[in-house]
Amino acid sequence: MRVLVVEDDGVLRGQLVSTLEAAGYAVDSADNGIDAQHLGTTGSYDAVLLDLGLPRLDGLSVLRNWRAVGRTMPVLILTARDSWHEKVAGIDAGADDYLAKPFHVEELLARLRALIRRAGGHASAELVCGPLCLDTRNGRASVAGQVLALTSHEYRVLAYLMHHQGEVVSRSDLVEHIYAQDFDRDSNTIEVFIARLRKKLPPGLIETIRGLGYRLGAPR
Amino acid sequence: MTAMPARGSLRLRLLAGTLFGVAALIVVAGWGLDNLFREHVARQFRAELATHLDQLTAHLVVDEGGRPKLSAALSDPRFSRPDSGLYWQIDPADETGAGGALRSRSLWDDVLGVPADVAADGTVHEHRLDGPGGIPLCALERRVHFEDTPDSPGGHFRLIVAADERLMAEPVARFRGALWIALGLLSAGLGLAALIQVIVGLAPLRQLRIALARVHEGSAQRLEGEFPAEVMPLIDDFNSVLARNAEVVERARTQAGNLAHALKTPLSVLANASAGREDELAALVRAQVAAAQRHVQSHLARAKAAAAASLPGARTALRPVVDGLLRTMHRLHAARSLDLVAGPIGDSLVFRGEEQDLQEMLGNLLDNACKWARSRVEISAGIDSGAGGTSLLITIDDDGCGIPASQRDAVLRRGVRADERIPGSGLGLSIADDLAQLYGGRLLLGDSPLGGLRARLRLPAASPAGALGGS
Repeated sequence: MRVLVVEDDGVLRGQLVSTLEAAGYAVDSADNGIDAQHLGTTGSYDAVLLDLGLPRLDGLSVLRNWRAVGRTMPVLILTARDSWHEKVAGIDAGADDYLAKPFHVEELLARLRALIRRAGGHASAELVCGPLCLDTRNGRASVAGQVLALTSHEYRVLAYLMHHQGEVVSRSDLVEHIYAQDFDRDSNTIEVFIARLRKKLPPGLIETIRGLGYRLGAPR
Repeated sequence: MTAMPARGSLRLRLLAGTLFGVAALIVVAGWGLDNLFREHVARQFRAELATHLDQLTAHLVVDEGGRPKLSAALSDPRFSRPDSGLYWQIDPADETGAGGALRSRSLWDDVLGVPADVAADGTVHEHRLDGPGGIPLCALERRVHFEDTPDSPGGHFRLIVAADERLMAEPVARFRGALWIALGLLSAGLGLAALIQVIVGLAPLRQLRIALARVHEGSAQRLEGEFPAEVMPLIDDFNSVLARNAEVVERARTQAGNLAHALKTPLSVLANASAGREDELAALVRAQVAAAQRHVQSHLARAKAAAAASLPGARTALRPVVDGLLRTMHRLHAARSLDLVAGPIGDSLVFRGEEQDLQEMLGNLLDNACKWARSRVEISAGIDSGAGGTSLLITIDDDGCGIPASQRDAVLRRGVRADERIPGSGLGLSIADDLAQLYGGRLLLGDSPLGGLRARLRLPAASPAGALGGS
């Protein structure tokens, strides 16, 4: 799961990035509206944390511009401006949730998980595929109750596949969503992660669709 | 706003001044005209008498016996009609004093009693006499002297012509009647004109009062309309005061928002730094951050509201605000799939106040209802025309667990939370209540028929746009 953090305060941005990385997300960040607009328009993100009071271009305009060019990723506005007037303006500009500063980290993570889940059409915090179960609240994957030991990259690949169960996910999709932007990307590593996951999972869960990518689904 | 006692009415003053002036002038003019006419009539009357006297003098001859005689009758026929009111008489002016030797037929048996004064020959005297039947007469007298001639002895004679004074008074009375009727009509017309002038002249002031009422009532932000040049500077000044007021409020808002932003980001940093650590310092930081946040939020809300409540002319339609908030609630509480139901809210429901404040009150109440509701939140609104003017009555129901009656007062106090299970600042209900009170309204908490909390918000209503005459 790849998340964009847009926040102009350096210390807070650093805290958000490390908190989100610790929670298993790949994180990009921007400290002004112009960069944020560029990143959000060109990159694939599973969610965006957006501050409203940004230098160069304000957050609401950034959000409207994203929506105008058809970017539909869930956006959580994270701002000090917490009057209902501003909340309504934020939601009407296309935001999916609104969290006022100061906030509790747990609440931020819970809302972010819920946003990503809802965007994938999942109602529950636990994603289930046959014997495999992924609890997004604590980042734990288990097979028939046995907790799996996963590296962070393995977890990101598995979580992305779980959120898109039954869909064909291309290798480039996976690259887009498990790496932060400034990471040295190599699509060959995806095959390595998939191979490792297959060893840890019951056979037949991850299917290779030749030439297209992978599909996660309960074996028939 | 307290009404100051009015110091008289401008309309009454103008009207009284004009009417007093008109009345004084009419009386003076009437008196003057009356006098002029009376004098004119009197002068004419006397001139006529003098003509008769001249004629009488011309016709007078003395016979051989020294007695006066008329060579021809006087031309005016009234001299020969008895009691016609026009008389003449010729008396010898000697010591015998026998008056009435020769007199007009109109005198019949009467004789004019002329005072026995002595005047120079040829001069004309005026007398007031009692005529036949005691009626007052105006008389002219001339004394003439005939020299002795071979034919007659000559002598002094007093020639008198008299006329009934009523002959003079009658046209004066007739004129006076007509004069006062005309002047009466004139003053009535002038009075009416003054009234119309005052009404038309002061009409802009009434218009001004209506414009002010619209500002006060909330349907206009400034004094609208065209006013006369004398009033316009006042209007412009007033409008610039209003505009400046609005500007100050807006600046206060902006500064309050900036302050919030400036404070909350460092608070977030502190809160995040302390998160997940169990030592004493972290707990202290968390507690103080929460306290600081509550202070910032409540003071911001109050500062904004205090600025807004004093701004005249603000009005906000209820419907769009509720629609916007419901969209927002749907999104913010999307995870809980609540039924958010709005009853019919007509366009005639208009709040007399700032949009942001209405959003703040309803947002907090709706958010609170959504947080606690199991599955359903309802909002409805209506007009309540009570003794204290019309007010909006907005009702928000939820099917959550409600608040026990004993705790309802407490939750309206700042920062008191009835239940710590759901995150929140504990300020929502008290902010809504504070704002409502600043607008002279109230927030009442009760039991909802849905099973949870019923929040009823009473707010001042503004009349729908255009309901107040004019443009």
